Amino acid sequence: MLGRFRHGYVAPAAILVAVLLYAPFLWTAYLSLTRYDGLEPPAWIGFANFAKLLDDPALITSTRNTLIWVAGTMVLPVGLGLLVAVLSYDIRGGAWYRVPFMLPYALSGAGLAMVWSPILSHDGISNLLLGVDTAFLQEAPDNTLAMLLVWTWQQLGVNTLLFVVGLQSIPKEPIEAARLDGASGWRLFRHVIWPLMRPLTAVVVGLALVASLKTFDIVWVLTQGGPGRNSETLAVTMYKETFVASDYGYGSAVAVMLTVVTGLASYLYLRRQVR
Amino acid sequence: MIRRAVLIVLGLIWLGPTYLLLVNASRPAASYDPASAWVPSGDFALLENFARAVENADLGGSLASTALYAVVSPLLAVIIGALAGYTIVVLRLRHGFWWFLLIFGGTVFPSQMLLVPLFVSYSDAGLYDTRVGLILVYTAINVPLGAFVLRNFYSGVAFSIFEAARMDGASTWRIFWRIYLPMSLSALTAVFILEFTFIWNDLVFGLTLSQTEDVRPVMTALAGLMSDVYAGTPVPVGLAAGLMVSLPTVALFLATQRLFARGLSLGSV
Repeated sequence: MLGRFRHGYVAPAAILVAVLLYAPFLWTAYLSLTRYDGLEPPAWIGFANFAKLLDDPALITSTRNTLIWVAGTMVLPVGLGLLVAVLSYDIRGGAWYRVPFMLPYALSGAGLAMVWSPILSHDGISNLLLGVDTAFLQEAPDNTLAMLLVWTWQQLGVNTLLFVVGLQSIPKEPIEAARLDGASGWRLFRHVIWPLMRPLTAVVVGLALVASLKTFDIVWVLTQGGPGRNSETLAVTMYKETFVASDYGYGSAVAVMLTVVTGLASYLYLRRQVR
Repeated sequence: MIRRAVLIVLGLIWLGPTYLLLVNASRPAASYDPASAWVPSGDFALLENFARAVENADLGGSLASTALYAVVSPLLAVIIGALAGYTIVVLRLRHGFWWFLLIFGGTVFPSQMLLVPLFVSYSDAGLYDTRVGLILVYTAINVPLGAFVLRNFYSGVAFSIFEAARMDGASTWRIFWRIYLPMSLSALTAVFILEFTFIWNDLVFGLTLSQTEDVRPVMTALAGLMSDVYAGTPVPVGLAAGLMVSLPTVALFLATQRLFARGLSLGSV
């Protein structure tokens, strides 16, 4: 009686996930081993796509850019976010000091590009302000760094907020005890506060790590990976190989590589954190 | 003192682009000049710029479609996810944990792994460039989060509630629909808002699975505008468009801030 509809109730969720997430995932894994242009049926070519990955200059560029995104995200949105959180979490009116950093978070990807294009363009506001004529979005790797700054402008606030929540929830007693022992400033932070907030830092860094490996939106809206292909990330390369060059097999191979790299990075990171 | 000084300097740097956005989105479309971008204009033309953005960029159709996706998909996803959570926890589905793992496992795939098969099979099935197609994919992607949060929520609910309702002769569906679903409203709302925001801001699925202005989600439409906006559309109109498409998620967050905080804390029970 009770059991009759049980599987019926779980079926909509299971079917949606199986058909629209699992099946495409497996299909992409298969396509990465084929030559496929979307018109002719896929032709099995083994690991040829992956061999091509290894000496494709475009892929070397996009791997380099992706690494810049990962490293840059750790230093700027995460690192600077931590700094702002530590500076503001226990001072009077701290929340007000954080308002400027929260505002940009309201903008979504395309809105972000709308704001920064006129600032970064070659006859734009930055160049006039600095009295120079720099092509911020032209030369590699400068264009990736410029986009990283834009990303920092948007993401700093939410990282700060997460760190503030963490800082406010750590126990007060060890900090008071350390203060009585004469610790303050950098030493207090390094030896008392930092170890106490480590679980939260692990989460923030882990999320940022995975997200930065998959950077797509901001690059797509600001440069579309260009000029040429010099600001592509792995996710952008995957998209362009597939839908611009119509090389579905090779695009799938890039997707598989991105998945393996993301999975491996998460695994190694988690293992280090758990230990 | 040094702390405050550092915060103020950084804060001022951060306010710069925000200020530029507001000042220049409010400027009459024809009067933008990079050299005087810092000086506010005497004429307030924000609303005209909104109107021009909708008209010039044909954002009207996109906005309506995106609103449809961002409301319908999370609604479906949250109910389907809650039903799965209810079945696993309350109805004690056999091998429930494995069903849960199967459903929740859907979140680990990067969207890049889904694009090619979705594009190819959507083209074959006549779902490419249709609203139904986008609703389907957005729903599927959001089901796991709903199942996760609601499974947690329902495992914190006393089983005696279910037993009492059974005694009174209610069917399992009725117990879900009339008791468990209303009971978890705050958690449902929190999940709904997260999913609404995700769909509203989505770029890549819109880019891959749609083409025409009426089907294409607004972020994708706006991104398409980007490549030629600063060749055609005046900067103030572009900025107004960016501001306009960001407003719904902000408004939703502000309106439901308290419920949101409560829903999340309940979800983590």
